[in-house]
Amino acid sequence: MKGRWLRKLIVWAIGIAALGGIAVGAFFSANLLRGKTGGPVQVVNAPTDVVAHGKYLAEAADCAACHTAPGGAPFAGGLAMQSGFGTIYATNITPDPDNGIGRWSADDFWRALHDGVRRDGQQLYPAMPYTSYRGMTRQDADAIYAYLMQLRPANVPNRTTELRFTFNIRLGMRGWNLLFLTDTLPAASVGHTPAWERGRYVVDVLGHCGECHTPRGFLGQMELSRPMTGSTLGRFEAPDITPDGLASRGWIQAAVREFLGSGLVEEGSAFSDMHPVVMLSTRHLTANDLSKAATYLMGDRPPPPASLPDAPVPADLAATASGRVTYVALCAGCHGLSGEGVPNTVVPMRGNTTLRLANPRNLIVSMLDGIAAQSFPYLQRMQAMPPFADKLSDAQAAELANYLRVSFGGQKPDVTPATIRALR
Amino acid sequence: MSLPTRALTLTINGTQHGPIDVPDGMMMIDVLHEMLGLTGSRLGCGQGMCHACVVIWDRDDKHSETVPTCITGAEFFDGKRIRTIEGIAQRDHKGEVTALSPVQQAFLDQFSFQCGYCTPGFVNATTVLIELRQRWNRTSAAAPGTCATTPPSVI
Repeated sequence: MKGRWLRKLIVWAIGIAALGGIAVGAFFSANLLRGKTGGPVQVVNAPTDVVAHGKYLAEAADCAACHTAPGGAPFAGGLAMQSGFGTIYATNITPDPDNGIGRWSADDFWRALHDGVRRDGQQLYPAMPYTSYRGMTRQDADAIYAYLMQLRPANVPNRTTELRFTFNIRLGMRGWNLLFLTDTLPAASVGHTPAWERGRYVVDVLGHCGECHTPRGFLGQMELSRPMTGSTLGRFEAPDITPDGLASRGWIQAAVREFLGSGLVEEGSAFSDMHPVVMLSTRHLTANDLSKAATYLMGDRPPPPASLPDAPVPADLAATASGRVTYVALCAGCHGLSGEGVPNTVVPMRGNTTLRLANPRNLIVSMLDGIAAQSFPYLQRMQAMPPFADKLSDAQAAELANYLRVSFGGQKPDVTPATIRALR
Repeated sequence: MSLPTRALTLTINGTQHGPIDVPDGMMMIDVLHEMLGLTGSRLGCGQGMCHACVVIWDRDDKHSETVPTCITGAEFFDGKRIRTIEGIAQRDHKGEVTALSPVQQAFLDQFSFQCGYCTPGFVNATTVLIELRQRWNRTSAAAPGTCATTPPSVI
């Protein structure tokens, strides 16, 4: 009863906030009045080096991850993004005159990236990370525009967003922007070297890493007081990637750089939503930018990596003996009796970053759902991990998770059957 | 020095085996081959991908599914019922084959082989698939529209 009351209160609060936003938006409606439809098809003839640089930046900014639907034409949009407020579909950003950005000028494109405003003056939703791209230089935005405008136009119509009432009023985003849009995102680490500054631009602005790794508040805004401290998206958690968070799981700069470049390191493989990030974006970064991104993520003075204890706590190990039986029965065939894995085929368990996370969520979801076969750069490929949801009871899965965390991750055996049940 | 062992009881093709002492971490395919003389299941990729080694696990809830024995430890099958390729055809009391299963016959009729190495696993997987379809047909006949469940992994 109390919960329903609270929900009503929140809905009302949001409604009032949205109406306030509309009022403020109407007051500052210059953008809407400036909005335009129709107009000439733009012809952009940028020098090839600008187009090439634009391609690099579009990859660094990972435009394709959302603007290309699975199996769809490149940059023709269509990917559905679920949010707590409804479903948003990424749009066609090929130079198609009617469905894409064929009539957009460089100024129009800049306003979308910088202010979150479409060419017709309507507000974008921050599923489009203008909240991060706002820090982009005009020169880089123009280069991306030059690259996109020479792509093959795709005649693919946009899908209409399906947001619940009050959130479906785009003008409400005016108020949201007044509250939450900032010019510069707070740094996730401490540093001042040129490498750190460039890394910050690559990570925070182009890579828009914080859009997933920074926790979100109840109106969907990034909680900028806690940048990069981790957030749960769908089934998986985007982990804490602050210097302290990374170091607590044993990461060093070189490993971060290698992970972003290849997706496969001793600490584990990229999976879930991070896999396309590596494949479409970070692996294309130059060695220089990779190093600088790692410098920014770990800070100018990286904290020392936490080492794993030589041996698990005996009492914890004894408590997880039944988990070991399950490990031997279902996991050891590939991951090895001692968790050693198989080089280039199966990730080792000892020191695996997922086992070292304090939150067991990603481990449990991997065990229950499995991980599909994935390709990696340099012709690497990891085979599928089968799902085990139907082979493990809640109690067995909890015991297995605890065995793995204690034996290979230096974590506590604190997973209960209820934790498993909640994630099924 | 000897490997630590665990005593396991396995029900294979309707016959109970054990308790037998199985070395810690031994994969089921090795137990079938080396300890029980059931050599029909084939070791292929050793990574649970190719299905040459799969056996049928008959779950207590009547839903059967295939399990790759090359990556599944014998411990998993402790107290469980499974069928291997040796249990698919009908046999008389002396153990002689009297009739092939319809799936085995269909493999022969259609010459569904390349080299034949994986056939034991594929016959098992096909058997599970056919049984699943039969269950679906019964379900949908009884209550139309209730068959749209997510199929368990069968192949």
